[in-house]
Amino acid sequence: MIDLIKELTESYGPSGREEEVQRIVLKYLEGYIDGHKLDPMGNLLVWKEGRDDKKVLLDAHIDEIGLVVTNIDDKGFLRVEPVGGVSPYTYVGHRVKFPKATGVVYYEGETPDEQKKNLSNLSFDLLFVDIGARDSREAETLVPIGTFGVYDSYFYKNGNYLTSKSMDDRVGCAVLVEVFRNLNDPKHTVIGSFSVQEEIGLVGAFVSAYSFSPQACVAVDVTDSADHPKGFKRHAMALGKGPAIKIKDKMSISHRRVVEMLEQAAQKANVPYQKEVLTFGGTNAAALQRTKEGIPSATLSIPTRYVHSPSETVSLNDVEGAVKLLLSFAKLELEF
Amino acid sequence: MDTVSLLKCLSGADSPSGYEDEVLKVVEENIKPYVDLVKKHKMNTLIAAKRGQNGKKLGIFAHADEIGFVVAKLEERGFARLEPIGGVDPKVVLSQRIKIFTNQGIATGVVGFLPPHLQKEDQKDKVPDYNDIYVDVSCSPLCEAVSVGDICVIEGRCASLGDKLSGKALDNRASCAALILAARELETIKNRSDVYFIFSSQEEIAGPGAVYVAYELGLDGAIVVDVTHGNEHVPQMPQIKISEGPALAVGPVVNREFYKALCDVAKRHGVRTQIEPTPGRSHTDTDEVQITRSGIKTALVSIPLMYMHTPVELVDPRDVEETARLLSLASTVDL
Amino acid sequence: MKGVKAMYLKELSELDGVSGDEGRVRKFIEEKIKDKVDSLKVDIMGNLIALKKGTKSNRKFLLAAHMDEVGFMVTNIEDDGTLSFGPVGGIDPRVAVGKHVRIKGELAGVIGYKAIHLQRKDELLASPKFENLRINIGAKSKEEASRKVEIGDYVTFATDFRCENARATGKAFDDRAGCAALMEILEKGQRYEDDLCFAFLVQEETGLRGSAVLFEQLCPDLALVIEGTTAGDDPGLPEHQWATHLGDGPAITFMHRGYVVNKKIYESILQVARKYDIRHQPKRRTAGGTDAARLAKTGGGVPAGVISIPARYIHSPLSMIDLADFNNTVLLLSKILEEGEGFAK
Repeated sequence: MIDLIKELTESYGPSGREEEVQRIVLKYLEGYIDGHKLDPMGNLLVWKEGRDDKKVLLDAHIDEIGLVVTNIDDKGFLRVEPVGGVSPYTYVGHRVKFPKATGVVYYEGETPDEQKKNLSNLSFDLLFVDIGARDSREAETLVPIGTFGVYDSYFYKNGNYLTSKSMDDRVGCAVLVEVFRNLNDPKHTVIGSFSVQEEIGLVGAFVSAYSFSPQACVAVDVTDSADHPKGFKRHAMALGKGPAIKIKDKMSISHRRVVEMLEQAAQKANVPYQKEVLTFGGTNAAALQRTKEGIPSATLSIPTRYVHSPSETVSLNDVEGAVKLLLSFAKLELEF
Repeated sequence: MDTVSLLKCLSGADSPSGYEDEVLKVVEENIKPYVDLVKKHKMNTLIAAKRGQNGKKLGIFAHADEIGFVVAKLEERGFARLEPIGGVDPKVVLSQRIKIFTNQGIATGVVGFLPPHLQKEDQKDKVPDYNDIYVDVSCSPLCEAVSVGDICVIEGRCASLGDKLSGKALDNRASCAALILAARELETIKNRSDVYFIFSSQEEIAGPGAVYVAYELGLDGAIVVDVTHGNEHVPQMPQIKISEGPALAVGPVVNREFYKALCDVAKRHGVRTQIEPTPGRSHTDTDEVQITRSGIKTALVSIPLMYMHTPVELVDPRDVEETARLLSLASTVDL
Repeated sequence: MKGVKAMYLKELSELDGVSGDEGRVRKFIEEKIKDKVDSLKVDIMGNLIALKKGTKSNRKFLLAAHMDEVGFMVTNIEDDGTLSFGPVGGIDPRVAVGKHVRIKGELAGVIGYKAIHLQRKDELLASPKFENLRINIGAKSKEEASRKVEIGDYVTFATDFRCENARATGKAFDDRAGCAALMEILEKGQRYEDDLCFAFLVQEETGLRGSAVLFEQLCPDLALVIEGTTAGDDPGLPEHQWATHLGDGPAITFMHRGYVVNKKIYESILQVARKYDIRHQPKRRTAGGTDAARLAKTGGGVPAGVISIPARYIHSPLSMIDLADFNNTVLLLSKILEEGEGFAK
């Protein structure tokens, strides 16, 4: 599973431009699914048939946060705006990767005092990107306005801890892929939704369940792990305690019956788990539950340190636990 | 059951957003005798339907959920941190008793406050937020059972203040009561449309509880019943007063003809109404219901209420009754 | 620029149609297009939907523009006969001061302000807020005002349309310019390969609401939203912070709030513009949203592109567009439709 996570997290897939990640997912799923399709918004939907006509949908978003080029000056320097919840601070002095070029991100400051002032109150208007272009013409050829970029970061492993960019939510995608690769003779049809544009407003997930009308949905996403110096004081989540069953975040409350089923599934498979209350943010469950006349939905989370930074960190133990839990969940009888 | 008893009964049910089971049971018991069919929807809403004559469908919505909390984290020595469900002002949480629903029963804790004697200078005028507040559960025999994810409410009780009633969750149990009383009124008024009384979920967290049912039913008209601020001074707005009847909203999220028809039928039958100008979104279920599927004609009726989102919300039971009367008359309007 | 003269822009700009009160605009458009389409209907929200069958009919192509403008609603009739009001859609109170307004499309009023002579120092520097502003219709008392106005009546700026120096100034170019562009397409009387749905929408300014009910009725395969979008190319902002520049042609959006434009659609629009050498520009700020964000999230989802006519000073009583930009937008739209099924295939 480690190679899968490495390949997924290192791939390029900012919101709205996720094709490369879709290809990787399909590559790993070949031979393990009964069918796949792309819906009108570009969500990748895969499935494995069950023995009855009930369906359960598992979702992970394949997009990551990034930047988009909005301007090129006459010297070939780029101006950018954020795609999703990116902080300008995480880019300063680091690199951004575009399909045809890599650039350095830095900030304006005509004097040391101005630099200091800008740095303490940083906004994207004060940043620029240097791709080493000789002039605007060269820059426009390599990185035209409207090109999307992602963190230039790489995966590494430290014992049980895995670090890379876009664990949010490629680790969720990896969990889904691994579930399908180990799913044998499921009771209900299991649908995998690899949805797009989550980071800019859960866009893809509003429609990905539409053509299937499943009985229940579980979104697999990351959650904050507060177990580092002065982490968020009201978060109980920590690395190594198992996957987190989400009770509530700022955009939805998990359906209580689906929560109970996830707990049941964990107990049956002997997977230790934690309960999660997140004091900000939301997941695709908030959108999936709104499909048609409603679908009972919940989120299973992978605790992650340093979310939305180039070095998101998870515990392999929690990731493997999530896979086991979902395989057990797929065996349960759906009451809806 | 008389209005005050009904309100007390509904107020006493503890049902924050997502956990509406308790109050829906109370609603079902009370509305069942007056309707043809009661059914629970998988997304935690209750539908009580009464057949009409002309085949048109009128939906009357009241959200049944209330604000509350969930235990976010446990500190050592028996303290719990809270995350609010819905808009709960942390200022009203201080020095309250909190009921925590553990899997072994209710653990009641207290929200502490440092006495003036021990406060430092910079703490004296500080406004608390949820990162400062904690619940002391050491006084409960079920202290050990409290876990992350347990649902909580402020322990509330009702008080009759003259002819008014004060208690928790009158937002929106007052409206739920109005729906039940309206169903009772329909025993005497012959409703033209089929009427669906819908007790919906998750309004306090801006969830789609009402929309789920609106999607399924194919309604010709929808009236959302909620509460609004009574006896407050809101700049540029006419003051909505307690004891002067329900307020009807007017603006882009309300169908103008439907609104006029409700005003008319109210006037003809001596039901007092007030006006609530709503130039933008109403921040009630009306907004989402209006744009469900191919669109629904909507109206918004609000019961005046004071001290919204505190455990001592205040209403006049006669406003609830007058609202019920308006709703039952609405079933005679042509959709 | 062949003979396209922005023929309905003046009437559309001067008609009153605040979000929730679009009837007058809808009636005008309906009258003008009814003989140019195969069918017309008004849905429950008040959207005007017109259909034109295609020669191949393999795809349903939605073209959308919104009829509503930002404005006000009367919220109270004060004892002195003046009216309190609140904004419908996003309006900065600072642009409301010292303006002529129209209530219910016909009654004249003014939004005054305390004379400069009488303002104290702190008042001179204080920014106007809606709670301090009143509309005066010349009534002496609450009772007199109540005979002419009701709480809930809608109010628009009473700006007249002018066209000089190849630039048009007036109110509501966001998005009457878009409506005018769609009407120009219909005027051509051409038939295209795809089935076309022309949707003139309501309540965009109050939260992309009219477009929320389209999927259920139409199930389109793809869409183009035609908007009047912000420019920002005035002396207030440095060039790299402009969203668009007047005179540089229709603005093509790749991303805005809550939506990244489908790659195929975005690239196909650019392709058509380059093929016919039509002046165009990318929209350079991702702020602001359109009905495309709503279409992406309703029903099974509709991928949409966004093409905008740059407009300075939108959401104020007086905005400005360049007529060449308007004409190039119509031209681009027309060439896209002529591509037929090949567009964004």
